[in-house]
Amino acid sequence: MKSKINLFLFDFSVLSIFRRGSKNIFIFFVFTLLIFLLSSVLFISNSIKSELDTTLNALPDITVQRLQAGRAINMPLSRLNKLLAIDGVNAVIPRVWGYYYFANAGANFSVVGIDQFEDQYRDLYTKLCDKFNFDKLKKDSGMLIGSGIDQMLKNNFYQGYFNFVKPDGSLAKVKIDGVFKADTALESNDVIVMPIKKVREIFGMKPDEAVDFVIKVANPSEIPNIARKITEIYPDTRVITKEDLKISYQNLFDYKGGLFLALFVISTFTFFMIIYDKASGVSSDEKREIGILKAVGWTIDDILKEKFYEAFVISFVSFITALCLSMFYVYFLNAPLLRNIFIGYSNLKPAFDLPFSFDFQTFAIIFFLTVPIYIAATIIPSWRVASMDADEVMR
Amino acid sequence: MIELKNVTKEFKVGAKDKVVALKDINLHVQKGEIVLLKGPSGSGKSTILSLIAALNKPTIGEVIVDGKRVSKLADNFTSLFRRENIGFIFQRYNLIPSLSAKENVIVPLIPSNPDSNWLEDRLQELFQNFSLESKMEVMVKNLSGGEQQRVAIARALVNNPSIIIADEPTANLDKKLSLEFIEILKKLKNGHNSIIIASHDPLFFDLDFIDRQIDIHNGEIL
Ligand SMILES: Nc1ncnc2c1ncn2[C@@H]1O[C@H](COP(=O)(O)OP(=O)(O)O)[C@@H](O)[C@H]1O
Ligand SMILES: [Mg+2]
Repeated sequence: MKSKINLFLFDFSVLSIFRRGSKNIFIFFVFTLLIFLLSSVLFISNSIKSELDTTLNALPDITVQRLQAGRAINMPLSRLNKLLAIDGVNAVIPRVWGYYYFANAGANFSVVGIDQFEDQYRDLYTKLCDKFNFDKLKKDSGMLIGSGIDQMLKNNFYQGYFNFVKPDGSLAKVKIDGVFKADTALESNDVIVMPIKKVREIFGMKPDEAVDFVIKVANPSEIPNIARKITEIYPDTRVITKEDLKISYQNLFDYKGGLFLALFVISTFTFFMIIYDKASGVSSDEKREIGILKAVGWTIDDILKEKFYEAFVISFVSFITALCLSMFYVYFLNAPLLRNIFIGYSNLKPAFDLPFSFDFQTFAIIFFLTVPIYIAATIIPSWRVASMDADEVMR
Repeated sequence: MIELKNVTKEFKVGAKDKVVALKDINLHVQKGEIVLLKGPSGSGKSTILSLIAALNKPTIGEVIVDGKRVSKLADNFTSLFRRENIGFIFQRYNLIPSLSAKENVIVPLIPSNPDSNWLEDRLQELFQNFSLESKMEVMVKNLSGGEQQRVAIARALVNNPSIIIADEPTANLDKKLSLEFIEILKKLKNGHNSIIIASHDPLFFDLDFIDRQIDIHNGEIL
């Protein structure tokens, strides 16, 4: 047995691809487009998923809201001590935040208050932000904004500051002292961070109130217990655990998943249409050629090998081309058009970058959904023809 | 030696009807013999050639070549049998029009992955013999009828077959080219090759290098 691969046969296959050039160019384009769509969709969703995972891990263990008539209302800071006294509670952090509606752009900003711009956070903020000057931030008691907001404010001719309209109609001018880097995270995109005092001022909140409490727990398995104790102490509260949040985030994601599934279905459907078209017949020229090959001494195996090389070369070149194009499109160009379908987390139209996230599994999924199917679709009809009597096929 | 034993061949036509192309035929062709099958169109000549080349199987009876029952071989083995023993010059040549003359001649050798030096020599030899050197790289569909036939002959001979078969070789040629073909044929007779020609062209009827003429009529040997 010769184990050396038959280069004459391989050459013949490549030559055959070019001989049937116009047909194969068409197949190449359609096939490349489909693989491109499929892999772009998978790359984008991978990217978002890895982003989401990071977000989920950063969620607070327990969030406590105060309810009145089913609506969340502000939480008095006086409740802090009783909660801290519960066994297993490490820390209770009052949060002051809200949504600021920016009418000019028709968008909501999430405004989040932090205690102070303390020195210990200097490195962290420096890492997270572009164009950032910590000392200036402290002096101004200014704000850090997400890149989406930065873009939007620029579009509305705000440079270096923004005028918030307070509930009484007067203006609060806050300086912009840093912009979160575009690749930080999906949800930092429409976030504004500023000192708690400023947030209270903008939203007209009392100094002895927070919006909600976030609780840190020593042992995660204690979370349900602690949650129950909190509702016993303060029956007017709603306690949201990390688990609850995870589920609602994932629902959000699944909803997005549904949309891209639709896209996915459309592209596979088109793909199978082409496959079907190819499978339902071999052109009369090709049929005759198979007959000739058989008549001059090619076995069915030889013919199928030749067809295999042909199909493999076309589909593999398509596959690699499409993969390169789609990596460029998703990770370099940030998936214009397609991205809009996926990103609805934010009320802003976000300008964040899709973080690079690529694993072998995705690569394998794309490969096995396309290349072998195409090869099979090419080989099966040829095999049917090749199994007939040569005489019959050549007629 | 080629042997057809009590061969009957029927073709299905449509759902129910059938055509009887050969009726209980017996035929022997010796090694080195040149045989002419003659008879009107539709008499069954091409069918006999197909059976000998195992391109088709008899309905009844058997075909034996050099002691091998080729009519009983599985499909892949009939291909191997042709590759090793048969050089078939088809009536319509059956070349691949989008390949060059040279590529067409190589085709039968491709599955056996030949040595490239040997192949180059073999091609030079064949193309010289048939005065086709200048046409090697020309696509077959751009060649004249006579040139196409010479390419088809070169392809049939590239494997050094022991059985050469030509079906109506002069049907598409003018008088001059037909006589040229007969010259080529004469040179192929060497005592080892069996040559079987099917034709109703009178040009073949009184050639002294043809050993035997067999008349076929309505699927029967007269
Ligand atoms: N594949 C086939 N299907 C149906 N009928 C066929 C087939 N091949 C040959 N025939 C019929 O068999 C008979 C003999 O044909 P053939 O051997 O081609 O004759 P010849 O070569 O002498 O002209 C003819 O009647 C022809 O129509
Ligand atoms: Mg005939």
